[in-house]
Amino acid sequence: MRRRLRVLALAALLITPRTGWSQPRPAATAATDVTAGRRVFDAQCAWCHGAGGEGGTGPNLHGRLRHATTSASIVEIVMNGIPGTDMPSFRLGLTDRSARQAAAYVASLSRTPARPGPGNAERGVALYQSSGCASCHVVEGRGGVIGPVLTEIGAQRGPAYLRESLLKPAASHPPGYLVVRAVPASGPEVRGIRVNEDVFWVEIRDQAGTVHTLRKSELSRLDREIDASLMPSYESRLTAPQLDDLVAYLGTLRGMK
Amino acid sequence: MSAKLRLAEAGGQPHVGVARTARAVARRAGAVLAIAVVTVPLLAQQAGDWPMYSGAYDSHRFSPLKQITIDNVAKLRPAWVYQPPGSGSIESTPVVVNGVMYVTSGPTAVFALDLKTGKSIWEWTRPIAPSVLNLGFPRVNRGVAVLENMVYVGTLDGYLFALDARAGVERWSVHVGDNPTGHSITAAPLVVGDKVIVGISGGEAGIRGFLDAYDAHTGKLAWRFWTVPAPGEPGSESWPGDSWIHGGGATWLTGSYDPALKLLYWGTGNPGPDWNGDSRKGDNLYTSSLVAIDIETGKARWHFQFTPHDVHDWDANQIPILVDAEVGGRQRSVVVTANRNGFFYALDRKTGEFLFAAPYAKQTWAKGIDERGRPIEIPGMEPSEKGTLVYPSLQGSTNWASPSFSPITNMLYVPVREMGSIYYKTGVEYKPGTYYTGGSEKRLDEESWGAVRALDVKTGKQAWDFKLPSPTWAGVLSTAGGLVFSGSNEGNFYALDATSGKPLWQFQTGGAVRSGPMSYLADNKQYIAVAGGHALFVFALD
Repeated sequence: MRRRLRVLALAALLITPRTGWSQPRPAATAATDVTAGRRVFDAQCAWCHGAGGEGGTGPNLHGRLRHATTSASIVEIVMNGIPGTDMPSFRLGLTDRSARQAAAYVASLSRTPARPGPGNAERGVALYQSSGCASCHVVEGRGGVIGPVLTEIGAQRGPAYLRESLLKPAASHPPGYLVVRAVPASGPEVRGIRVNEDVFWVEIRDQAGTVHTLRKSELSRLDREIDASLMPSYESRLTAPQLDDLVAYLGTLRGMK
Repeated sequence: MSAKLRLAEAGGQPHVGVARTARAVARRAGAVLAIAVVTVPLLAQQAGDWPMYSGAYDSHRFSPLKQITIDNVAKLRPAWVYQPPGSGSIESTPVVVNGVMYVTSGPTAVFALDLKTGKSIWEWTRPIAPSVLNLGFPRVNRGVAVLENMVYVGTLDGYLFALDARAGVERWSVHVGDNPTGHSITAAPLVVGDKVIVGISGGEAGIRGFLDAYDAHTGKLAWRFWTVPAPGEPGSESWPGDSWIHGGGATWLTGSYDPALKLLYWGTGNPGPDWNGDSRKGDNLYTSSLVAIDIETGKARWHFQFTPHDVHDWDANQIPILVDAEVGGRQRSVVVTANRNGFFYALDRKTGEFLFAAPYAKQTWAKGIDERGRPIEIPGMEPSEKGTLVYPSLQGSTNWASPSFSPITNMLYVPVREMGSIYYKTGVEYKPGTYYTGGSEKRLDEESWGAVRALDVKTGKQAWDFKLPSPTWAGVLSTAGGLVFSGSNEGNFYALDATSGKPLWQFQTGGAVRSGPMSYLADNKQYIAVAGGHALFVFALD
């Protein structure tokens, strides 16, 4: 119950229209910091948050931020990371000054609302159901377990990343979803998600959800398919407008309602 | 008086509590010692002991015990498991002296255990506040040193403690380095004669590195060797301006010792700032080096720098191995090391003369090593604002996990990390008690792997390779039973044939093995010990 309340509070923060920063820095300093901060951002942050903070592996930083309300709290996040997410601490690489500059730039981004995507989220819901997504993915507790849970995917990833994942799923599989193929010396081949691997054993969850425990010394080969995904590409299955709609729907998934 | 009782008195205030605790101990020490002298004989080393962190002064981590062999190792079973209080992980190698095992867990606790039952005889914990800094390494402790009736341990907050080996009571403590400026101790000290040698961590915090020797009985400082020379001292010409003040060169692992030459061999860490070398143009002596130090005077007899002007955080703290081997057609006293920078080196132990080097893991930063031992660097491999892909990663081709040398096979068994990083360079300014690194890295985790790799010490050439799913943090033990033991991040503890690398036995510990295995004898029975996750596992034949 407590968790649900917290998520609701965060969701409220996300959808509240942004009117300005509660602790604006003096304009002259801010302008210098924002310019310097953009360089820091491009080198250190754009890797995940995308050029101009439009989102990628990391969230879009335009519009109200989910975890920060002030420049000071952005600095805090840059230096300490966000536990339970992929956001790491940058304490090792950034000085206090460059963290402050990066935060000033991020704050400037958040003053501009996210550009609305081209798709229609309501049509996207129907596409999600009709395209078979739910057979492998969970949204709000419902769906299959082969792929990653998508309940919060819109808060975790930017639209560019979501689009790429639908077109080229193999381009970047999330941590914990490495595809492996095991060929036993005798018996059928097993291909699926690597659940576990140590020096002597490997556990693989196949497409049907069955976990196979295999002794490595009994395999004739074990391939890590770093560039593979069990998810099919939707490039030829969806039209361009349908793709926009599905991305728009995924973008609305921001936690349990 | 129990150690547990003492802890209650220390009251969990590490900074202010130390002096009070030390004084309190001093007041009572006389009485305790007087009783002890009558009732308990002095501790002395016995056959089958593992008397120091690396097993012996030559740091071979080779056990002469041979009850467990390639023929019967398949029957190795757990004898006992020790789960220390708290949740700190164990990265320690146990020390066994005169029937007692001394092992540590993070952040700073020491346990004295019975060799056959695993029951604790005493426990000592240093209260470590959350505010205590550990900049650039986890909150761990890697082990103790033992001399007669004393156990010596360094603490995360920068102190060296001497504990009574029989009851864990504190005899004395000294302040080695200021924790608020990033100084810390995780390494096991080394006892030589009546001196306790202890290194310092903090190479990512802009400390000026040093190695200290203290009187084992009183804690009085015998000497301090600064790894970064002050202006006017030899080597100072390799540091422009004031850059030496925060020059790094931490001494964060245990070294080795040659009793015949009376020389300590100690590796030094990276220069500071780690990844932005703009303010420290020059070789930056004696960082990323091996230094041979006279045990009596604390002065350097010679030094050898593996990575001049290092900008990849390639510490040279890996434990140096002292071997006598035929190199270039004649028998020599040699020190060998598999360096974090991807090359294996052999040096003359008396003079520091460079004998040869050979790559032992994937590296993309140097074409090779020239005839003087300097790397022939490939241009453009420095960290950059946009990122530069270089092998090995900043954790290096190997790291603190100890290698092992078997005088039977003449092979050095190295825990190898095959991994690259994208190195970033950023601006940097010194602020006490914060990172002073000037960059960061993005590791190429998915394409990385690990190995235990056997190298011929005469040539550095690979004899065999036992592959692991990820870059390893597990140390290696070799034995006269023809075995090599090591672990994996995935929890395996296993035995290999020392000659072929073929796996012969394994046990899943259920936690990452980030410690050094060792072997000891109790009641004439051989045991093998290793930590996995938060527990210590001890094995014996059925």
